[in-house]
Amino acid sequence: MKVTLNWLKEHVDFDWSPAGLAERLTMLGLEVEGMEHRPGELEGVVVAHVVSRDPHPNADRLSVCRVNDGKGERQIVCGAQNFKAGDKVPLILPGASLPPKPGETQPFTIKVGKIRGVESHGMLCSADELGIDAEGTGHRREDGLLILREDALPGQPLAAYLGRSGPDVVYDLEVTPNRPDLNSVLGIAREISAVTGNPLRGVETGYEEAAGAADAAGLVGVRVEAPEACHRYTARVVRGVRVGPSPGWLQSRLAQVGLRSINNVVDVTNLVMLETGQPLHAFDLRLLGRDADGRPTVVVRRAREGETFTTLDGVERRLGPESVLVADPGKGIALAGVMGGLNTGIQPDTTDVLVESAWFDPANIRRTSKALGLRTDASYRFERGADVGAADMASRRAVRWILELAGGAAAGGVVDAWPVRVPANEIALRPLRVRQVLGIEVPEDEAWRHLKALGLQGPSDGPGGATVWRVPTWRVDLKQEIDLVEEVARLHGVDRIPSTAPRGARGSHPFDATYDVWMELRRMLAGHGLNEAQGQTLVSGASARMASGEVVSLSNPLSSDMDVLRPSLMPGLMDVLRHNMSRRNADVRLFEIGRVFRGGEAGVTEGWRLGIAMTGARNPAFWAGEERDARCDLADLKGVVEEVLEWFGLRGVVFSRRAEPTTLWMESATLALGGKRELGQMGQVLPTVARRHDLRDPVLMAELDLDVLLARRNAVRSAKSLAAFPSSQRDVAMVVDESVTHDAVLAAVRAAKPANLESVELFDVFRGRHVSSGQKSVAYSFTYRAADRTLKDEEVTASHQRVVEAFRGVLRATIRE
Amino acid sequence: MTLLEELELAKQAALAAVTAAPDLASLDHAKGSATGPEGRFTVLMRRLGSLAKEERPAAGKAFNAAKAEIEAALAARRGELELRAAVPREPFDFTAPGRRRGTGRLHPLTRVTDDIVRAFRRHGFAVADGPEIEDERHCFDALNTPAEHPARDAQDTFFVAAAGRPLLRTHTSSVQVRVMETMAPPIRIVVPGRVFRRDNADATHNPTFHQIEGLYVDRNVTMGDLKGTVEAVFHELLGDDVRLRFRPHYFSYTEPSLEIDFTNALVRKLGKEWLEIAGCGMVHPKVFENVGYDPEAWSGWAFGFGIERIAMLRYGVTDIRAFYENDVRFLRQF
Repeated sequence: MKVTLNWLKEHVDFDWSPAGLAERLTMLGLEVEGMEHRPGELEGVVVAHVVSRDPHPNADRLSVCRVNDGKGERQIVCGAQNFKAGDKVPLILPGASLPPKPGETQPFTIKVGKIRGVESHGMLCSADELGIDAEGTGHRREDGLLILREDALPGQPLAAYLGRSGPDVVYDLEVTPNRPDLNSVLGIAREISAVTGNPLRGVETGYEEAAGAADAAGLVGVRVEAPEACHRYTARVVRGVRVGPSPGWLQSRLAQVGLRSINNVVDVTNLVMLETGQPLHAFDLRLLGRDADGRPTVVVRRAREGETFTTLDGVERRLGPESVLVADPGKGIALAGVMGGLNTGIQPDTTDVLVESAWFDPANIRRTSKALGLRTDASYRFERGADVGAADMASRRAVRWILELAGGAAAGGVVDAWPVRVPANEIALRPLRVRQVLGIEVPEDEAWRHLKALGLQGPSDGPGGATVWRVPTWRVDLKQEIDLVEEVARLHGVDRIPSTAPRGARGSHPFDATYDVWMELRRMLAGHGLNEAQGQTLVSGASARMASGEVVSLSNPLSSDMDVLRPSLMPGLMDVLRHNMSRRNADVRLFEIGRVFRGGEAGVTEGWRLGIAMTGARNPAFWAGEERDARCDLADLKGVVEEVLEWFGLRGVVFSRRAEPTTLWMESATLALGGKRELGQMGQVLPTVARRHDLRDPVLMAELDLDVLLARRNAVRSAKSLAAFPSSQRDVAMVVDESVTHDAVLAAVRAAKPANLESVELFDVFRGRHVSSGQKSVAYSFTYRAADRTLKDEEVTASHQRVVEAFRGVLRATIRE
Repeated sequence: MTLLEELELAKQAALAAVTAAPDLASLDHAKGSATGPEGRFTVLMRRLGSLAKEERPAAGKAFNAAKAEIEAALAARRGELELRAAVPREPFDFTAPGRRRGTGRLHPLTRVTDDIVRAFRRHGFAVADGPEIEDERHCFDALNTPAEHPARDAQDTFFVAAAGRPLLRTHTSSVQVRVMETMAPPIRIVVPGRVFRRDNADATHNPTFHQIEGLYVDRNVTMGDLKGTVEAVFHELLGDDVRLRFRPHYFSYTEPSLEIDFTNALVRKLGKEWLEIAGCGMVHPKVFENVGYDPEAWSGWAFGFGIERIAMLRYGVTDIRAFYENDVRFLRQF
C-alpha cells in the first residue's frame, strides 16, 4: 500500500517529520518498506502580478516589467507581447529550473543577469516553457505568456494554482494480511489518530440529488442470487456525465501511488478505493441488459460451468461455478471483486453511470483470482476482507466526486441489497488478562482510550468484571480477547514493555542428547580430515534411483532436477563431488549428517544418515615423501568407518563383501551388526558412474544408518589397569589363497584358542614376486602376555605353535620361514 | 728437566692436540698418543717409581690432576664433535610449509546453528526435533493458520505424492505442536531444523533452508519474558553492542506478534538503520486449545528465525546457494 504524507495530513493532524512518521508507522506494525521524497511540480514557479510594463531602453522587442511576487516587487526583462500591467502571469524565480524540452537533457536554470544592459531577476513564462497544456488547464492558448485567471494570488505556487501536487513523501507500507483496513488512507490515518489522540477527519460523502430525479431503484434492479458469496451489493446511478480527462491534481495523486489515470469516472472509483479501502466499479448503464420489468438489472450469480467472459484487459476467461459473476439478465458484466467486463466499461461517450460498491467473500475472491492468475487492486482488498459497513459510504463518496469532476445528475437514493447481515462481533476483555500477557499494568482508562480510538464501541459490562467491546466492521481481524490485548500493547507501545531476565522451568526433550551425539560425531569426523557438507533434500529422480528404488516423489515439484526426496545421502554427495571437480577441486573428503526418506507400503519414513565421500589425494599437498601422490582408496574409507563404529562403541560389525558389482558399486560391502541389523554400506563407485560425474580418481563412499548406530550406541567406557609384566612377540608370514580374508585368519586364530594371546595385528600384505597369482602373502604379529607373571619362552612357543598349525590346517597356508 | 716438568709439557701437548682435533678419529688418535698404552703420559707414569719416596705422593697427585684435566678436555671435545657430526647436511627450512594431516571443518550452517543452540541452552532450553515430512494439522491447522491462508498455497508448499497429502514442513513451528501434544507443560525447547518452501533457487532463496525457534510455556509467562530471553540470546549471538527493536506484526500462531529488528556496527556498515532478523510472539490461545493445554492456566512465547540469514550476515556470504554447493574452498574458510 502506497500513501503520501500530505494525503494523510488531510485526514489527521500530526507534527512528525517524514522520517518520524515512518518510525511511528513501523512501531505500530505498519512496516515502511520504502520512503521516497518527491519534489513538487513546477518548483520555484509562482504567480506574479504585473505592476508595470515599460519599453526596454536598448531593445525594441523587449520590455522591462515590475512584478509583485507576493513578497515584494522585482524587475524582469521580458520578450513577450501578449500581456499588460494588471495581468497575472507565471514567474520563475532565480535558482529554479525550467523542465527540459523534448530533445534537451539538461534543465535550464534561471539566473539573475543583465539583458541588453538591464537587470532581470527571474523570467515570466509561457505555457510551453513550463510544459503545461494551456487549454487542458482552462486557459487561452496564445503566443507569449500564460495569462492566469483573475483569482490567482501573487506569490501562490503555480502548482497550487493549477491543483498540482507540491513536494510530498510517498511511503510504501507492508500491510500484514490480517489488517485489510490498512489498505486505505483513512485506515492508516485512523491508526495515527489513535496514537496521537488527534481526531480523524473522515471524507465528505454528501451530494445533492437532482431536483425531480428518478429514484435509483426505478432505474436499476439488483438481484443477489449467490448471497453466501456476496453479502451486500449497492448500486447508485449518475446520469448525464461527461467522461473526460481527470484534473491535474487527481492525475498526479494517482501517479504518486502508482496508478495510471484512465478518465474522470474510472479515476474516481480508484481514488475512493484508495481513500476508503472499498473497491468500486463503474458500469456504463446503457450497456446493461434489461429485465422483464424493463429495468437494467444486475444479477450476482455463480458462473456456469465453462461460461466464458472477457475481462476489461481483453482476455477471454473460462469460468466455473466456483467463480461469482456480476451479470445482467443475459450476460456477465464483471468478474465479481476482481475485474470488470470489456462489454460494459466506461466509454468516452458514456453518459449514465452505475456505481457498484459491494462485499464479496474473501475465500471466493482468492480462489477465483488464483485460478485465473489475475490479481487486481480490488481482488487484493476483497480477498483480505473488505469492510461491509463501508459499502454505502464509499458509494456516496464516489457519486460526490463524479458530480464534481464529470457533472451529471445523481438519481435518488441507492439500491442496497444486503441479504446477509453478520452481527457485529462483541469481545469481553478482562483487565487481568492484559497484565498476564504483557507483564505490565496498563491503566484501565488508557486501555479504554486506545480501544475507543480504534473505533471499538464500549465498554459495556461483561461477566466477572470484564468489559465488553463491539468491534467495528472494518476490523475483521479482531475475534477474541487476545486480539484486544494486542491492540492495547500496540498502542501502549511494545518498546515500553520492560524485558524480564530469563526465568522459570528448565526444558527437557529426548532429542536433546541426540543433538549432542550428532555434534560430537561431526567434530570427530572433521578431526579425521573430512569437511562437513549440507546437501539438498530435494534431488532428481534419476540420481535418487541410483541409490534406492523406494523413492518418495513430490506431487508439485518446481523442476525435474528437484522432484524427489533424497532416499540416501550418496546421490547428493556425488553431485557435490562433481561440482567440486568442475571448479577444479580434485581432492575432496566430505561427510554429511542428514535425513533421508523412503517410501513403501507402510507410508513414508524418514531417518538420520551419515554419508561419507572421498576422492583424490590421500594427504594434503606436500613437497616431499613417498605418499605425496597417493590417492584415497577403500582402506582410507574403511579407516574412517572403523573410527565411527569405535566411537559409537560398537564391536562385532560384520563387513560382507558383495559378490558382484552393482549399478553403483564396483566393489562394495554391506555392514551389519550381529549379522542381522543392517548398518549401512561402503564401497568404491563404478568408474563408469564416476566418469559420468567427471571424476577420474577412485570415488569411495559410505553411508551408515545413524538411527541404528544411536540405538546400539555404547557410550560406557572403563579403564583397565595397564599390564605389569612384559609381553612376548611372534610373527607369522604365510602365503594363502586370495579368498582367505582377514576375518577368516582371525577366526582360525580364535578356533586355535592359544593361551595368553593378547592381540593380533596384520602388518603386511604382499603380492607379486615369489607369490603365485591367486595367492597373497600376509604377515601377522602376535603378542602374548600374562597378567600375573612373565611368560616363559617355551609357553609362548607352545601357544604360538597352535596358531601356526591352525593356519596350515584350516587356511591351507604355506608358512614362510 | 724433572719428571714433573716433563709431565707439564706432556699435558700441554695433549690438551693442545685434543683442542685441535678436527673430528672424532683425530680425537681418538690424540687420546691414544697421550693416555694410551704407549702414550706419552703412560710412559712418564711408569717412571714414577724412580722418584724418591718422599717425592712420590706429590708427584702422584700431580699425575692424577693432569690426567683428570686431559680426560675432561677429551669429554668436552668429544661432545662438541659428536654434536657437529649429528647436524644434518641439509638444514631444515623452518619457513617451508609443514606436513599436515588435514582436519575438516564443520559446515557454516552447523556452526551458526550450534552457536544459537548454545545460547538457548544457557537459558535452560532443551533441543527438540520433529519430522521433516508433516501433515497439514501440525504444520498449519493446529497453528491457527486457516485453510485460506496464503501460506498454505500449493504455490508455496511442497506436497509429497503419498496417501494423506503429507507435505514438507514450511517452518519448524510444526515441532511446537508435536512437542506440546506429547509432553505436559512446562515446555522450554529450541528447535533447529530443515524447512522447505517452493521457491526457485536464487541468491536469497533455496527450496531447502534452515530455521531455529524457541518455545517456552509455563505459568505466568509474559511478553516481558519474551523480550528478556530474545535479548539474552541475541546479545550472546551478535555481541553486546547489538541493539534490538520489537515492533508489532502478524503471525497466525502468536498474538500479540512481533518482529525483531537489530542494529550494530555491521548493519550500519550495510547502510541500514535496522535489519529484520526474527519473528516472535505470545502463543495464541487457539494453539494451546488445539494441543489440549488450558490457555487460562498456561501462557508462553515462541520466537524463530532463519539460520541462513544469520550465517550470511555473520560470514559476509552473498549467495545462499554457496551453502548447498559445498565447494571445499568455501567450506575450508569456516
